Amino acid sequence: MEPLVYRHNRITRLTHWVNAIALTILFMSGLQIFNAFPHLHWGSKAEPGEALVSISATNQHGHVRGYIELLGHRIDTTGLLGVQLTESGPTERAFPSWITIPGYFWLAGGRRWHFFFGWLFAINGLLYFVYNLLNGHMRKFLFTLRDAAKVPAMVFYYLRLRRESPQEGEYNPLQKMAYTSVFVILTPLVLFSGMAMSPQLDVAFNWLPAMFGGRQSARSVHFILAFGFASFTFGHIFMVLTTGVLNNMRSMVTGWYREKIPSHKEPSRSPAPSKLKLEEPPPTEEKRQPPIERPVIAVAQQPNPVTAKPETTDEKTPIGTATNTSAEQEKEAQKDAEK
Amino acid sequence: MPKSNLDLSRRRLVLGALQGTGLVLLSGCEKLFNGLQQNKKFVSLLESAEDATQSVQRLLTGKHKLAKEFTAQDISRTFKANGNPPPITTDYAADAARQWASWRLEVGGLVKQPTRFSLGELRSLPSRSQITRHDCVEGWSAIAKWKGVPLAEIARRAQPTPEAGYVVFHCMDTDEDGSNYYESLNLVDANHPQTILAYEMNDHALPVEHGAPLRLRVETQLGYKHAKYIQKIEFVADFKSIQKGNGGYWEDQGYEWYAGI
Repeated sequence: MEPLVYRHNRITRLTHWVNAIALTILFMSGLQIFNAFPHLHWGSKAEPGEALVSISATNQHGHVRGYIELLGHRIDTTGLLGVQLTESGPTERAFPSWITIPGYFWLAGGRRWHFFFGWLFAINGLLYFVYNLLNGHMRKFLFTLRDAAKVPAMVFYYLRLRRESPQEGEYNPLQKMAYTSVFVILTPLVLFSGMAMSPQLDVAFNWLPAMFGGRQSARSVHFILAFGFASFTFGHIFMVLTTGVLNNMRSMVTGWYREKIPSHKEPSRSPAPSKLKLEEPPPTEEKRQPPIERPVIAVAQQPNPVTAKPETTDEKTPIGTATNTSAEQEKEAQKDAEK
Repeated sequence: MPKSNLDLSRRRLVLGALQGTGLVLLSGCEKLFNGLQQNKKFVSLLESAEDATQSVQRLLTGKHKLAKEFTAQDISRTFKANGNPPPITTDYAADAARQWASWRLEVGGLVKQPTRFSLGELRSLPSRSQITRHDCVEGWSAIAKWKGVPLAEIARRAQPTPEAGYVVFHCMDTDEDGSNYYESLNLVDANHPQTILAYEMNDHALPVEHGAPLRLRVETQLGYKHAKYIQKIEFVADFKSIQKGNGGYWEDQGYEWYAGI
């Protein structure tokens, strides 16, 4: 069997799950807020009749139909958008109650949830970002031109048109592209477009709405990016489910991941490209391999990681037993242990 | 039995199970979120974000930065008039017909100089005109030109005492339950140069649906702070004893007192 490697540090795991909760609530409370004015406009103002996207309902002789109108094209969406079919009959509502927080129409409540979890999302993201930038982890999934050249090969591999994965290191080129775009495009833009809707911040920073072409544009961008996050999340969950769900879940709960690539290739252990090595200090931690301590691995292998005590299965034991621990790793381990 | 048939029925079973689980999860989530919404401790945790937002945003803004002012071409063709319907009392209608001859703005509370202003007197005070964007809490924005007296000018004349921390606006409009609209600002927002008591909109006397004869414009805040149909301005130490005690009509219904976001 392939060895277990320590793939996700404590901060990564913690912030990952906090982020999962925050994003879900931000998405759902955001749709609640959207429902108060289910139209998207471009520019500074929302001139009635000039919306790019509208979700609304018509009522002809008691016949209630919901629709979405995109640039003048109307699509009937009764039951999903515009009109929800409830026990008490068809109810006019842009997004249905089961996808909004709270599950009934209340703008004030939705705003409370959204701003609280907005803060949580930002602080949690900052913690992840600072920690993993400093320890060099983020460099592993930074999408570069070199990765761009390997994207077609990776697509072919996924489509089963190619036997060998072009993956080198922990992340394949498509993963790098997805993660990098979340960090470099989605997250900053979603934060800025959200802040651009705040009248007080618009006074503090006149450029904030201007960078989107106006407050209503910022609102539209914010809405579209929310669905960008949603599609990333669905893609992410799909990959987690299809590439060994238990192994993946274990690695994000306990940190330990079973390498799937045969050991003679062991790409994750091969040295980083020399260029990178010259320019930057070596990665400080991750992948502490305890190759000799088989018993330790056996403990960590338990199929149900939840019942196993994390204190004995994850960081501490391998740190104490690993033979190839560098000075930096030890420091990291002490920090972890002190917590 | 051909294998494909078996696969199909298995697929249907799996899909059905997934769908069922999904529905249970969704309704469970809905119950969870709605339940949390009833939990006082949880709600006050959610509400703590308001303080964080207010302190950070005020720190970033400072006192004298101005909201963007637009040009005449940017003015909205349609400007929605949300909120309560205009006051329907006969007094209001009769006075509107007489160009507000008997309406007076009362300025009082914790001030050294309680005063009353007629609309004509307000018009004779120094004024400010601005073309600004109005941001509704619902999400829409509209642009209009406003002209009025800076609130700081009124405060200067009334001379609030050192105990005064807030300015409360008492309005003439009521909701279907008969509660009067009211709003409050702290002194930072009240003294902002673009905070004005507007009597003109787009170069005409303020229309009834937009709050005639006098409404507030406070460009750092969302629309619900911009009280319409103002009758009385009161300087207070705090607003705990006014109506439900949250500092405003919408605030009493769960909206944030700090409406800068």
